[in-house]
Amino acid sequence: MMITLLVLLPLLGFFLNGFYHFSAQARKTEPSVVVAGVIGTIALFAAFALAVVAWLSLGKSGAWDVGIEERLFSWMKLGTLHVEFGYRLDRLSGIFTLVITGVGSLIHLYSIGYMENKGSARYFAYLNLFCFMMLNLVLGSSLPLVFLGWEGVGLASYLLIGFWSGEMANIMAAQKAFLMNRVGDLGLLFAMFIAFKFAGTLDLADLSSYSFKPEVATAFGLLIFLACTGKSAQIPLFTWLPDAMAGPTPVSALIHAATMVTSGIYLLARLNPVMGQSPTVLFVIAAVGAGTALMSAITACFQSDIKKVLAYSTISQLGFMFVACGVGSPETGVFHVMTHAFFKALLFLGAGSVIHALSGTQDIFKMGGLRSSLPLTFWTFTAGWAAILGLPPFSGFFSKDGILHESLVAAHGSRVIFAVLAFTAFLTAFYMTRLYILVFFGQSRLSEGVRKHVHESPIVMTLPLLFLGLAALAGGWFGAPVRFESGHHGGVGEVSPYLIMVISVFIAAAGAFLGYRKYFRSNHSEKTRDPFRVDEIYTVVFGRGTEMVASFCSRFIEEGVFQRILQFSGAAVDLGGNLFKTVQTGSAQGYLLMMVLAVVALVCGLIFGVHGYGN
Amino acid sequence: MSLLEPWMMLVVSMVIFGIGLLGLLIRKNLLVMLMCVELMLNGVNLSFVAFSKIHHSLDGHLAVLFVMTVAAAESAVGLGLVIALFRTLRTVDSDQIQILRD
Repeated sequence: MMITLLVLLPLLGFFLNGFYHFSAQARKTEPSVVVAGVIGTIALFAAFALAVVAWLSLGKSGAWDVGIEERLFSWMKLGTLHVEFGYRLDRLSGIFTLVITGVGSLIHLYSIGYMENKGSARYFAYLNLFCFMMLNLVLGSSLPLVFLGWEGVGLASYLLIGFWSGEMANIMAAQKAFLMNRVGDLGLLFAMFIAFKFAGTLDLADLSSYSFKPEVATAFGLLIFLACTGKSAQIPLFTWLPDAMAGPTPVSALIHAATMVTSGIYLLARLNPVMGQSPTVLFVIAAVGAGTALMSAITACFQSDIKKVLAYSTISQLGFMFVACGVGSPETGVFHVMTHAFFKALLFLGAGSVIHALSGTQDIFKMGGLRSSLPLTFWTFTAGWAAILGLPPFSGFFSKDGILHESLVAAHGSRVIFAVLAFTAFLTAFYMTRLYILVFFGQSRLSEGVRKHVHESPIVMTLPLLFLGLAALAGGWFGAPVRFESGHHGGVGEVSPYLIMVISVFIAAAGAFLGYRKYFRSNHSEKTRDPFRVDEIYTVVFGRGTEMVASFCSRFIEEGVFQRILQFSGAAVDLGGNLFKTVQTGSAQGYLLMMVLAVVALVCGLIFGVHGYGN
Repeated sequence: MSLLEPWMMLVVSMVIFGIGLLGLLIRKNLLVMLMCVELMLNGVNLSFVAFSKIHHSLDGHLAVLFVMTVAAAESAVGLGLVIALFRTLRTVDSDQIQILRD
């Protein structure tokens, strides 16, 4: 029952913190952040310890289909549908579980420092709830259980984005995230219908080994992919992620960088055998992934909010992982999920530390020269920066190069996708260097009031930074030896991985150099803008579109059809009433006369034989 | 050929019934209207007897006896109602008794 216990520990934390919140509220006191944070952190750290034990018990075989399965009870039995409620831990879900609980517990720890004065037990309860749902998502053995987790993380994300509900913008961002995710969820729901209809099973292991008819596989794959674009912020459903930065920074690090947004990759990797049955689906995944990576990398170059830059960078990196799944090498994508979780969580937490030190300033053009005043943050951020650039020997070097290599040589790789990714890697180096230099180097551009309060963050915040910095430095070596055998190679034939490494390091260096040249001396403020104006386009197409449909309905259908019908029926009743009112004279003899006439008419009818009435 | 043929009785019954009906429709006095109802009943009675004779059956006679009994009861109730109406409304004119309409 180890895995079940692992999943339930965060739920226990959720209940404890929830109870703590309500009891504090009843006593009209503020719940202590330290107590709530320790409860949450311990719950998750215990889960991490269990996850490590479970992972080790998988053995060293490295086979992907070895797993521990725990069946709890029979969940649904409807006709031929039979769904077990159970958890399964194998290599794939094991990696995700380790990342969720490991990075998760570090972020819980960090939150104790970050949420000081402004947090509450409610915050940690939500965070624990998120981890519980996320574990359900990756460990669930059947699609309905994955769906439960899928919806659950959406809910937790909604609650945490809108955590500071005092500001309207935060609430709107939370709603936007929730609504855009709903669009994707619809895809998962329909995919489940298809799976049930054609494969007759919703169990993930059975489903993975089922071979669909080609067109069914395409439909199933595209629907699953739609779900993944929602959760993992890909074109066309990515605009919620930058807005989701309205939440507290540790939330952005955990949910919107390290874990929740990678659940799309998890699902694609899990259902990879089915996806592989349809080349169309794989092509769409790779194309959308590459397009998203490029587009959001370009957008990131024009942002001035430190968290927005990181948010677009996350979308871009997720695009890399999608490409890996699309070209037929999901292992590389999952490897990048892991290293990305390390360095992106690190970058977000570093950004959080900077924001914390500067009393809430997020504009990178109002920072500068923080290298000396925040040394620990600076050094750990440097590790994150080097990792995302892909400089050896940092973790990004292994995983990003892996994806670049696979995009060329994997079964469905192509030169075009490689070129797009290479250019994106160049842009990544550029905007990350821009951010790095504007924040930590050059002259201080802080306002007077802020400058006085600059301070390095407390130990609970720097400790997770150190751990994650270490992971970002060394995390790549976990995967390097296991550089999973990719099977048969198609694409453009054999290309030496060393050549790709040289190219990618050169690209990263070029991007970094350009960023250095452009921003090291001149640091006049730039305006944030979105070069693609996706939000505006969506507002016009969907907002205005809905308005137009609504006004059409109200003008033509409502006023033209329904109101007419109602008015007509009203008028008809009115007319009839007026007509028959004249008969109602009140004179008994009048009624009598009518009765006599009616009887005469009836008798005449009987005698002269109204057809079908007389007899 | 008898002096009193059944069809003559039918004609008489029809005339009596017609007079009753006409009176009921035209006269405004409730008492007179009640008497007209009696007239109609008796017209019908006559036709019963006539048909009874035509068909050589006693059923008609039976019906007549029955109608007479009911008519007696009906006129008693009717008169009672008219008196009650007169006591409350001080009139027996059917045109002025239109309280149900309002």
